Amino acid sequence: MTASPARVIVGGVGYPDLCDYSIGIEIQERLSAWDAPPTVSVEDLSYNPIAVCQRLDDEAPGERFTRMVIVSAVCRGTRPAGTVHCYRWDRQLPSNDEIQDAVTDAVTGIIALENTLVIIGYFGALPAETIVVEIEPEAHEFGGALSDAVRQVFDPVCERMKEFATDDESVARLPIEPLTFSVPPGMRVL
Amino acid sequence: MCFKNLPVEFDDQGKPFLREGIRDPYGAGAATPTGGSRQLTAERVAELVRRNGHDGTVRPMDFDPVTRVAGALAFHTVADFPNRKIVEARSVATLFRGYEVIMVGRDPRDAIYITSRACGVCGGVHSTCSALAIEMAIKCVPPPLGVIIRNLALALEFLYDHPLHLHLLAGPDYSAAIVEATNPSLFERAKKTEARYTEIHGYRTVADLMIDLNPLTGKLYLEALHMTRVAREAYVLICGKYPHPQTIVPGGMSSTINLTVMNEMMVRLGQFFDYSKKIALIWDDITEFFYEANPEYRKVGSRRATMIDTGIFDHPDAYDATYENSDDWGNRRWATPGAIVDGKLVTTDLRTINIGIEEFVDHSYYAEWTGDGQKQHYPTDPSGNPLSPYHPWNKVTRPRPEGQNWKEKYTWDTTPRWDRNAMEAGCYARLWNTAVAKKMPESPYMESTGHSLKMRVPAGALPETELEWHVPADWNAFERNRGRAYCMAFTTLIAFENWRAAMEIIKTGDTRTSTKFDMPTRGEQRGVGFWGAGRGYLTHHLTIDRGAVANYQIVTPSTWNASPTDRWDQPGPYEEAVLNTPLLEETNDPTKFRGLDVLRAIRSFDPCMPCTTHIQSEAGLITREVNTCACALDE
Repeated sequence: MTASPARVIVGGVGYPDLCDYSIGIEIQERLSAWDAPPTVSVEDLSYNPIAVCQRLDDEAPGERFTRMVIVSAVCRGTRPAGTVHCYRWDRQLPSNDEIQDAVTDAVTGIIALENTLVIIGYFGALPAETIVVEIEPEAHEFGGALSDAVRQVFDPVCERMKEFATDDESVARLPIEPLTFSVPPGMRVL
Repeated sequence: MCFKNLPVEFDDQGKPFLREGIRDPYGAGAATPTGGSRQLTAERVAELVRRNGHDGTVRPMDFDPVTRVAGALAFHTVADFPNRKIVEARSVATLFRGYEVIMVGRDPRDAIYITSRACGVCGGVHSTCSALAIEMAIKCVPPPLGVIIRNLALALEFLYDHPLHLHLLAGPDYSAAIVEATNPSLFERAKKTEARYTEIHGYRTVADLMIDLNPLTGKLYLEALHMTRVAREAYVLICGKYPHPQTIVPGGMSSTINLTVMNEMMVRLGQFFDYSKKIALIWDDITEFFYEANPEYRKVGSRRATMIDTGIFDHPDAYDATYENSDDWGNRRWATPGAIVDGKLVTTDLRTINIGIEEFVDHSYYAEWTGDGQKQHYPTDPSGNPLSPYHPWNKVTRPRPEGQNWKEKYTWDTTPRWDRNAMEAGCYARLWNTAVAKKMPESPYMESTGHSLKMRVPAGALPETELEWHVPADWNAFERNRGRAYCMAFTTLIAFENWRAAMEIIKTGDTRTSTKFDMPTRGEQRGVGFWGAGRGYLTHHLTIDRGAVANYQIVTPSTWNASPTDRWDQPGPYEEAVLNTPLLEETNDPTKFRGLDVLRAIRSFDPCMPCTTHIQSEAGLITREVNTCACALDE
């Protein structure tokens, strides 16, 4: 294990009571009980992305978070449910029109991983390293139950989140990737 | 006479009654509206396209989805490019809301938390509207401080909502980035046009102002993002969280209110003194610039001034939660209720407003509920006044997405009408009612003159400033935005008055914010929440049967505004506004039109489709925008 970075924020994004789509929130809640090092802050990041951005921006210069580890259900539909994919976001932003759409979504009530990242990226509040942990969901009904496939990865994902929060080498081994989970035109179904 | 179309008259004591001798008084033929504009039939439009479509000059121009609005809205138009006009306009709400179905059978108190989720912008207004409906049904009156704090919560939601709409959603339509692209000569003119209110907002020319309206980079855009935070912070002091509050209960608020809370709120509220002066005068400058540059802009989004609002901000000395006294306490609200038809205020009485409401589903994905031998549940309101079988207390929500074409059904929105008129809802309706009615409580900061509303906004960094909103001669997209901008000041001053009233009550030691209540477990009760969203009118009609919700009907501002054409071919407000909109972009090439003026017309209403429709489909839960394949409708 190598030294942890200066400050790390760990959180999840999702909707409550939406089965697998709540996994981001549920993992964040589990990690809240973690006796984390003082440099690590576990927080709910599942609220208005503009407000998340403003919260990150509130940190004093020199004390800002240097790494973010963020988890969410991401439906690509091309991989088995329960697939976990971790990577460092390459911080490439979409076009200005798409960013504007992300802001519109955010201020009108949409909470989603990609608009959270795009907004905090665009407005300059993004920590230098951003680790994205995607979990492929299956169940999308109202309710609290996770599908079997997602339940099985719950504990391992929690451990990996801790690792990414505290171990530089683990992070360095992750691929650098763009956000490639934008939903094709048509219905965006969670 | 208040009602021109419905066969409802008033006796000498002012009590409404149904005109005698009409066999089916609420039938389509018995009360046919006159005076409004009419949509061309789908057949006539198809014929126009057929005759002129060979060179592409009359052809569909669809917006799917309409961007920079809250939620899922599609809009179909047929544009006649040579004549620069729209010949068909169809507003399509693409998602089903379903709260009416979700609520049935539940404990009425659940409505406060469940219906809040109807909107991700202004959920709290639904919570409060639910609480009001329950209070009326169970006869529970909040203590004075509870009423006042509820008013403050509402005002703070609006102070989040108005900047958001003006500078994040509608504002970019008037920005340099867009105007320069669609109307270069207009932007050149803006560079040479001195702004009138430089001393307040700081912009020397109109072009300077347009540059700061640019999305993402403009100072006004970024400032609006910041101000939404200020309002949100003040809101959570009394409501716990935003946008879904945790402290709203029947009988008041569950928050603890003390001097610390009030002082922290004032620190934030005070920031809106200067901001609201600036916003009002910025939109004065924008509006006057466009009018002077080209008077045709007066037609963008124009329609007859026909609008409705139930009023908001209760006076603690008046509000008693009863339907019977609702005319009295409604008329003592800081924002006066009212129905305006063709620019004339025809009533401010909540019961008259209520009995004139009907909701139709002819072009909506729902089945009728009045047939099949079903008897009308309530022939009258609780005061014995006549009710239509189409009234929300009688309505049954029966989703049926069939017959998908422009002739039959094309939207999940319903068709509310008042006295069978296509009414518009908006914060400007409350401004208009209040200005004309001269019924608002006496105030050191506001004065209703009968034709305008004077607002004396206290000094901040800027000096004390008197703003005056005048009832406009034309009703169009620009006046909607200008009205919303003035509503910032109106709301700020009402919040300030209520803040001061709260401090006076706290001084007396009466810090109660709620009244204990028991939920009935027997019999049937009825209530209605008459409230408002940032976007205007909001009602929740509730029926309780043996302690559970038997019927729950929500009518939001966008239910009115996005409504489809009705059974008399009267277009809904968005549709009518678009039909009257000239195409003023500086191009003659139909393929290069961006439809900017159509979008200005639609966005000026501040559409909020999550409130209008919502999130359930057989494919799962939809939480993001949806576009519809409108080709299926082109039949």
